[in-house]
Amino acid sequence: MTLQLGRQSFEDDTTLMMAIVNRTPDSFYDQGATWAEDKAFDRVAQVVEQGAEIVDIGGVKAAPGVFIDEDEEKHRVVDLVARVRATHPSLVISVDTWRASVGRAVCEAGADVLNDAWGGADPGLVDVAAEFGAAIICTHTGGATPRTRPYRVEYDDVVAAAIHDTVAYAERALAAGVARESIVIDPAHDFGKNTFHSLELTRRLAEMVDTGWPVLVSLSNKDFVGETLDVGVGERLVGTLAATAVSAMAGARIYRVHEVVETRRCVDMAWSIAGRRPPARAIRGLQ
Amino acid sequence: MTPPTRVVLVPGVLALLPSYAGLTDPVADLRAACASAVAWLTRDGSPVTVLGDEQGTRVGHHLLGDSPTGAGSSYLVVGNGSACRTEKAPGHLDARAAGFDAALGAALTGPDPEALRAVDPGLARELWASVDAWGQLGDLLTGDHVAHVHHDDDPFGVQYWVIRWEPA
Repeated sequence: MTLQLGRQSFEDDTTLMMAIVNRTPDSFYDQGATWAEDKAFDRVAQVVEQGAEIVDIGGVKAAPGVFIDEDEEKHRVVDLVARVRATHPSLVISVDTWRASVGRAVCEAGADVLNDAWGGADPGLVDVAAEFGAAIICTHTGGATPRTRPYRVEYDDVVAAAIHDTVAYAERALAAGVARESIVIDPAHDFGKNTFHSLELTRRLAEMVDTGWPVLVSLSNKDFVGETLDVGVGERLVGTLAATAVSAMAGARIYRVHEVVETRRCVDMAWSIAGRRPPARAIRGLQ
Repeated sequence: MTPPTRVVLVPGVLALLPSYAGLTDPVADLRAACASAVAWLTRDGSPVTVLGDEQGTRVGHHLLGDSPTGAGSSYLVVGNGSACRTEKAPGHLDARAAGFDAALGAALTGPDPEALRAVDPGLARELWASVDAWGQLGDLLTGDHVAHVHHDDDPFGVQYWVIRWEPA
């Protein structure tokens, strides 16, 4: 399905890199490397240079920690969104938030996508997306409260649960007035899930793709990669790329990533293996 | 055989086929040369006979697009020189390739029908040259013809020519 992400539309054979930009002092991977607004702004310029089509700006880390209220979250992200909008007019700007009030403020500042990593915790978020013509990412968390870790969560069938909840969320967004081509689903690896759940979601991702809704995957350096390979946060790129290749074979459209260049190559390679992208330049044996 | 009015030679390069297209075209110059020669060949809409081996005729039919094919007085011959001109060439470097191709080039541009009919098929095979239709090309070029070379290059260690001939 053609994707309409705010100002930009993308044909249905394209894959998109969504680069993570943390306006946080405490996110697990970068540990505050882009906490200062100027650093976050520089990170945006860098990932654009690397070919990212989307930036995903977040002001609250996913894991539990210091409480960040709505005003503080807005303080962290709204001005940055406006600055990025002014500097990169054709870039798709996504904001990682579950709060409708924050969603409204960033859409007014020029955001194109609301990435609701917490699966509809605030029911008003879809109305904001509809009002501003923004896209929305509908994630599965198994009903987890924002910023909580999974504890003894079990599913009869995690893939069926992820499909049920994300499709229900997508239909709720559609009913609220969000355009069909601006709704994306995300199984949300590790959110309300243990490592076995995230591995199974990866293995069976094609079932989510078969729903017809475009699928986003957020795999980058996550704990399921760390636990699977028994490696720390700084050693998860190879495992991330393996999961990325499997997801690309299944047909995921958007990849939320820390490493843009490596992921782009991985996805292009898998997409070509799947027969959805020609090689860049092929002459060997064809001269 | 119907007397030839127009004859074109193109190489049977598989990269010209859409099924082998990449995001960027490694044979853009060759493709443009083929297109201009074929446009000349088909300009009056008369049918074109394609001559060459199986792969070559597939390439030829692709280059002709929607133009009519069949018996007539226009011929698209598909073939090329050696594929052993450099160390990176498909058939690796063969010291005989340069001389073989130089002689072939002279026979084509002359043109020299007798020399085309006399190409050594054994040597051609050893040098990975595609010359199946060379004898027929020699027959077509009997009498006075003038050659116009659209393309003469060996970008991958394979000798390509795009040439058109018309009666003098």
